[in-house]
Amino acid sequence: MRRGLRIARVLLSTQYALMLEYRAEIALWSLSGVVPLLMLGLWSQSEAGQALGLGATGLSRYFLAAFVVRQFTVVWVIHAFEEDALQGRLSPLLLQPLQPLWRYVAAHLAEQLTRLPFLAAIVAVVMLVHPQAAWWPSPRALLLTALFTWLGFAVNFLLQTSITMLCFWSERASALDRLLFFPYLALSGLLAPLEAFPPGVRSLALATPFAYQVAIPARLLAGEPVAIGPALAVLGAWLALLLPLCLILWRAGVRRYGAMGA
Amino acid sequence: MGRYFRTLRRFWGMALASEVEYRFNLLIELVAVVANLASSLFVLSLFFGDGHRLGGWSWPAALVVLGVHQLLDGLTITLLQPNLTRIVSHVQEGTLDFVLLKPIDSQFWLSCRTISPWGLPPMLAGLAVIGWAAQRAGAPADPTTLVIAGLMLLCSAVILYSLWFLIAASSIWFVKIWNATEVLRTLLTAGRYPISAYPPGLRLLLTVVLPIAFLTSVPAEAILGRATASWLVASGALALMCLLISRWFWRFALRSYTSASS
Amino acid sequence: MAMISVEGLSKTYRVANKQPGLVGTLRHALRRQTTDVAAVADVSFRIEPGEMVGFLGGNGAGKTTTLKMLSGLIHPSAGRVEVAGHTPQRRQAPFLRQITLVMGQKQQLLWDLPPRDSLRLNAAVYGIDDREAERRIGELAAMLELGDELNRPVRKLSLGERMKAELLAALLHRPAVLFLDEPTLGLDVNAQARVRQFLAEYNQRFGATVLLTSHYMADITALCPRVLLIHQGRLFYDGSLAALSARLAPCREVRLELTTILPASSLERFGTIEALEGRTVRLLIRRDQLTARVGELLAALPVADLEVRDPPIDELIGTLLQQGVIG
Repeated sequence: MRRGLRIARVLLSTQYALMLEYRAEIALWSLSGVVPLLMLGLWSQSEAGQALGLGATGLSRYFLAAFVVRQFTVVWVIHAFEEDALQGRLSPLLLQPLQPLWRYVAAHLAEQLTRLPFLAAIVAVVMLVHPQAAWWPSPRALLLTALFTWLGFAVNFLLQTSITMLCFWSERASALDRLLFFPYLALSGLLAPLEAFPPGVRSLALATPFAYQVAIPARLLAGEPVAIGPALAVLGAWLALLLPLCLILWRAGVRRYGAMGA
Repeated sequence: MGRYFRTLRRFWGMALASEVEYRFNLLIELVAVVANLASSLFVLSLFFGDGHRLGGWSWPAALVVLGVHQLLDGLTITLLQPNLTRIVSHVQEGTLDFVLLKPIDSQFWLSCRTISPWGLPPMLAGLAVIGWAAQRAGAPADPTTLVIAGLMLLCSAVILYSLWFLIAASSIWFVKIWNATEVLRTLLTAGRYPISAYPPGLRLLLTVVLPIAFLTSVPAEAILGRATASWLVASGALALMCLLISRWFWRFALRSYTSASS
Repeated sequence: MAMISVEGLSKTYRVANKQPGLVGTLRHALRRQTTDVAAVADVSFRIEPGEMVGFLGGNGAGKTTTLKMLSGLIHPSAGRVEVAGHTPQRRQAPFLRQITLVMGQKQQLLWDLPPRDSLRLNAAVYGIDDREAERRIGELAAMLELGDELNRPVRKLSLGERMKAELLAALLHRPAVLFLDEPTLGLDVNAQARVRQFLAEYNQRFGATVLLTSHYMADITALCPRVLLIHQGRLFYDGSLAALSARLAPCREVRLELTTILPASSLERFGTIEALEGRTVRLLIRRDQLTARVGELLAALPVADLEVRDPPIDELIGTLLQQGVIG
């Protein structure tokens, strides 16, 4: 336990130092997340947006919240892993007495930490332009948002890692990952609030991991009602499915990697 | 001129020869086209429930905008992305020197060096959507409209190329430019919706600062046969200006490259 | 008329001084401090058509910068350059058709495709028609002893084969001036000899002017009757190789592997000790005494292994400049 804490501390602090070196790129990345703010413009102007019954403030809060939580659920492990495997940096990592995936987890957390200042700056600008949208979420809402954002990130990380493991068999694993991006765009709530979905699609979205990347934590942060119990049940089911899958694929993949003499 | 055509044939012949090795790609890319189209159609349809309109555009008219966006996306995958993201590695590996020593225009070489067949399916899908939706929207199919529409599409392709080239050329100074092209791609998704659907501030930004209006909305108007002369002239002038700026910028970048260390 | 003429050529870089760390970054952002570094300073020379000239100097001496200015990739800060009647930095097509640049550590061939594809591309770019291109490829391939390798993907070729294919691609348009930057870098001794032999033959057959840099003294000795020696951006010597080598390398380096560790005192009488690390010794011995000294040494010392070679050029130039032998 104490060893675990120590490793976690060292991993996080070194990864944070590393990410600080890339701060310019990370700032650009945060900027590429502005899609929800563009969508806010569209929805607030459109007839369909007015028919949703969220009101101007409701819409602003939802999309601003979506912008914020999305910054913490984005996963890029497949690109980092692919590059490490290609550059031959993987073999030394496999020799260390630490599951290499933890390294990527730490890198993601550190990168999110690096994003914080840029995120705050963008939110501040939006608040200045739209002062009526400003709100202060309750402590309960904040805690729940943090919990669900983190769970959403965990599910997303496991999902992408499972696909990443296919790197061991195929060079096209990242192309497979790209395919997941389209249902994500449609169902995550990044481009439209859940209210806009037809009821059937809404239920479907709530059963996939996608709605938990953006819509659910964003609703919590914006102070909209969320059925906590069913949401936890779905997330738990996905975790129970993906965690063993990910580990099985990892073992098989490493065995194959060794067999190929890499 | 003949030398340029012969060079272009060699360029693209070689590119296709090395792509044939990945047949698995074809399947993935076809699935990606269908998934991409389905997810953007779904999101767009959310704005049109109960006979709503978006920024004054009917459902089939807005579909033309989406089709144009899809077409440009295909162009990006076919030509812009494979060629222009390579400038970075030319700078990093120092092989830009070889390009500069060839008795052929270096911007031509860097922009047309290779071609990827995987942009073809999205382009065809875009054309199909445009054709179907234009007919539904009652667009005139007379030769004048077709010629004007073709010209406007050409202008938007030129503008898109110039934007990409400007960003790619700045890799002469900033090597980590890959993120910037991602930001550009994200911002370009704003072009999936008619420009008049955005609030005034954003509309101005997307017309003047980042000319997304000219990329999709203006050609769509031309296809629907309702473009005004002033927009057409503005679009042509802008395309010419962007192209000239890209050439001037490349000269400037090269001057800096040839007077700096390497 | 000279093929290459250079007068008072200089290149100065402005280098930013930045302290490491966050504080350094901030301080740098507030007040930029820069230093001018002269990579090449006031260099003048002329090279006649058909000459083969060796360009000597240590790492960072300014060789590559000069070659890049001659080929038009870098603009000079001062001075005048003329190559084949053109000003290189304009990089006009008629000039580019007459020159070529080969860099040992960079490649222009496409990694995943056979060299033949890159050759066909070059033919199109330089406007050589296909029949003529085939004829030239055949001719050059025979000189380089390249055959089926041209049809195998570049990544499957050995370093030596790849370098030969690079040379073929660089010479397809039959340039009158060749700038070669370390063309034999990393090659094994056989491949080096092959490349050398090819360059000599090419120069003979087409009367091309060649300017060559190399880390290997053997390249220069085999090919270049005339050498330019550059150090810290300045031209120190321009003349025949024979005259220089007598001054530059009066000694050879003898590297010994002993079976036991010996003190420096018992080694001094055989030559100047360059390095003594454990059982490995490097001695400098004058050329005229070499055979005699090595004989004595083998008789007197417990030698496990022995190797005689030319000392590395940059070390030699450094020491010789310090001693004031040249300059």
